[in-house]
Amino acid sequence: MSRPLNYAMLKYFTTVDEACVDDVMEALKGEYASRRAFTRDEMTSALMTAEKNGLIEESRIDLDSHDDLLVYYRATEEQKQSINSYIK
Amino acid sequence: MQGAATADARHELALEKKRKLDQSFLKKGLMIALYSGITYGLYSAFIMAAQTQGVWADWMGTLEASSFLVVFILPTIATALNDLFSAVWALLLTAKQGKLGDFIQTFRSKPGIIMVAAALVGGPIAGAAYVIALSMAGPIVTPIAALCPAIGAILSRFLFKQPMGPRVILGILICVFASGMIGFTGLTGALGPGVVPGLLLAFIAALGWGIEGCIGGFGTSMIDPQIGITIRQVTSGSVNLIIILPLLTLFGGGDLAITYQCVGQAFADIPSVFFFVASGFFAYTSFSNWYRGNSMCGTALGMACNGTYSFFVPLCSWIIIGLIMGIEGFALPAIAWIAALVMVAGITVIAVNPLDFLKKKGE
Repeated sequence: MSRPLNYAMLKYFTTVDEACVDDVMEALKGEYASRRAFTRDEMTSALMTAEKNGLIEESRIDLDSHDDLLVYYRATEEQKQSINSYIK
Repeated sequence: MQGAATADARHELALEKKRKLDQSFLKKGLMIALYSGITYGLYSAFIMAAQTQGVWADWMGTLEASSFLVVFILPTIATALNDLFSAVWALLLTAKQGKLGDFIQTFRSKPGIIMVAAALVGGPIAGAAYVIALSMAGPIVTPIAALCPAIGAILSRFLFKQPMGPRVILGILICVFASGMIGFTGLTGALGPGVVPGLLLAFIAALGWGIEGCIGGFGTSMIDPQIGITIRQVTSGSVNLIIILPLLTLFGGGDLAITYQCVGQAFADIPSVFFFVASGFFAYTSFSNWYRGNSMCGTALGMACNGTYSFFVPLCSWIIIGLIMGIEGFALPAIAWIAALVMVAGITVIAVNPLDFLKKKGE
């Protein structure tokens, strides 16, 4: 059985330098696309909540080709350790 | 040159969009946290209304008001019933959202265990401490219990390094003062016999709720809020019924058979069960939004918004029990309205940095 979606999102940041919500969705769609919470809005909200609580941090912002906002997040070494200590 | 200008313009646009995203996230968090305060008022009103119905009305009419059963056991049964119905609501909605598998997995994980601990401290432990404090010292304990937002904010400052400058401290103090204004209206000058231990227990309750708000909010940054609240209510409901209730009975020298006979009668009492089903639904809504609001706004602001329950509890009780059910004794004191305005001022002080406005105007 796969991890809960929120756990998988946080775990993903321990494996990459940085990612925006679209990167996270792309990486997790194989296992999680059928989940009800697998929407851009819900996952954006989950990432912002994680950032607000210091589990990840914002690395940069950009615009895509449609001028939609892309917010990139990353986990510092300390944050990666913290995520790994909570989620096995 | 033109390329650099275009890049600058795109960066400015990105910054503007990010500012709007942050604002809408904060507004959403504020609404969620305030909604938790309103639904706490509804939950409290329905749980009080339930205790005016059926077998509860019989108990209140025939049993000695200061008896151990009335003061300690019946309120704990009411809380257990409410939390169990709340757990059923949470489980049903978790199943409807297809998250039961995640719920079981989360329960066994470290964040899930932390959530169970937060639920234990804030649910059965703080709840029982508050019920006993009320009976020992009287309504004077209410303003002490209202310290919980301040305690939650202080704990979050130290545990999770959440920011807490002088402006936030001032806002929290204003909100605590406002809650105290309403709490003190319950004072009649007649203090209960155990004032000092009562106040100590009320502080333990405030500490428990502060810990729950702080830890539950952080937990919800890792756990889906729907799953978080399901863990909370399942834990609280079952521990109240299986552990707290027999412990209280035995410590008070009561009879376990009578206690569980009351539980059985309460479960089978259709008129009051309808009210407990409603109170359970609003408890589910209130606590899930409390955790979620705290995780989105930070504990200080989230708990200050949730603390508006000090106003919404008497307001909802007056509307539901006083106006709709026609039971006397639930009129809303005028000071509650004044305190509500003071609370809004306190929340605004926490939420809005006047310097941000000045900066925007200067831009």
